[in-house]
Amino acid sequence: MDQGATNRVYKFSEIIADPAIGACWQKVRKYFFLRESTYDMSNRCNIRCEGCYYFNGEKQFAKENLNVSDWKHLMEGEKERGITFVVLAGAEPSLVPQLCQTCYDVIPLGCIASNGLNVLPREIDYRIHISVWGNDQTSLEIRKAKDMLARQMVNYQDDPRAVWVYTFTPVNIDQAREVTELLAANGQQITFNMFSSPVGYSGHLRHTPETLAHTRATMSELLAEFPQTVLFSPYNIVAHTHTRGLHDLFSCSYPRMNPSTAIGLGRSFRQYRTDLQWDRAAACCVPDTDCDDCRHYAAGSAVVTARMYRHATDPTTFSAWLDYVDTYLAVWVRGYEKSAPLCKQLIEPPDLVES
Amino acid sequence: MNTDISQTITRIAEIIINELKLEDVTPETFDADLDLIDEVGVDSMDLATIALVLRDEYGIRIDEDDYPKLTTIRIIAEYIDNKLKSDD
Ligand code: SF4
Repeated sequence: MDQGATNRVYKFSEIIADPAIGACWQKVRKYFFLRESTYDMSNRCNIRCEGCYYFNGEKQFAKENLNVSDWKHLMEGEKERGITFVVLAGAEPSLVPQLCQTCYDVIPLGCIASNGLNVLPREIDYRIHISVWGNDQTSLEIRKAKDMLARQMVNYQDDPRAVWVYTFTPVNIDQAREVTELLAANGQQITFNMFSSPVGYSGHLRHTPETLAHTRATMSELLAEFPQTVLFSPYNIVAHTHTRGLHDLFSCSYPRMNPSTAIGLGRSFRQYRTDLQWDRAAACCVPDTDCDDCRHYAAGSAVVTARMYRHATDPTTFSAWLDYVDTYLAVWVRGYEKSAPLCKQLIEPPDLVES
Repeated sequence: MNTDISQTITRIAEIIINELKLEDVTPETFDADLDLIDEVGVDSMDLATIALVLRDEYGIRIDEDDYPKLTTIRIIAEYIDNKLKSDD
């Protein structure tokens, strides 16, 4: 499967006639019903990390609503308007487990972003994304928390909900190996995220072309060496370490960058703050992130996934897209099993402007 | 290639019924003016799938930016018709 080896125009039916591609297509399309929105659960956190996405911008000042019946009412309304997948984030959802449980009771598919220092009750059967920003020495420096990874691993030992999300910054690239090895030895799983600068940020955590290339090489090595542990694909690596950000590559479809309310994310996505209000102008999975520097894993999960049509040009490009969607589902949906990648090469994303 | 709009409408209805596994409706009874998003529940990924099947069938490219406009079967049929005419 060579991308661009010929200028042959493929029919979609020809592409999915390949047995492996067809099987993966049938596997992932069962999840096309997923419609997400995200919710800030609490304006508190038990640690304070440098560069934390939550403690940037206005949303951190929203009043906290701890009323279970208000949340139940909100979730019922969300279900009513077609939301089938919730992402519970900022600042630290494990501080309000009763609210997470309320969400789970109404919408049973979802994910919680946590620092992993508190264990969420097992009854809340969402995927749990545990943030890791380097080895424990680095965590101590930038998150002011001791033995962070060791404590997370004990808290979520043998817990199939858990996946660690390693955020690559320019200063922790080489520590990803140590973290991946520890998780692999412990039978746990990891996926990769990229530090994406908040609006106005020009500090040392902003990636450069050199650190993007270094990250790309590191991710490729780890994916090859730990295929059972690392939930990622070659095309994920391309999309998230490209010198062009996700919006530039794929034209972000979140409301913040998409004026259309007709269909898709522009129509249904909302990002609720802790006061249960939302603002279309700020609505995306990582509000306050600089769109030009956005390579965030949550952003890619929606933005790349939404661009199926432009990837259906040839078997290789479509395989790469399927790998991305397969990875997205494995990372975000409880019980979804990732397949081996169909496309093992690092291929360029199709052009924004179709010929 | 078929450019007759009523035949195109029936064929699009057939494709949508097929791809979305709709029940209780046939290509002949599918209201061509029904809002696909509000009244049928079609979402962006469904529309992308339908667009790919239409691309195969009619040999036309449906730009991703045009999805929001494609709200009914009749509008899609007219869109295809226009594309085919402009390719002539
Ligand atoms: S920050 Fe990322 S996900 Fe949010 S609107 Fe910008 S490009 Fe889209």
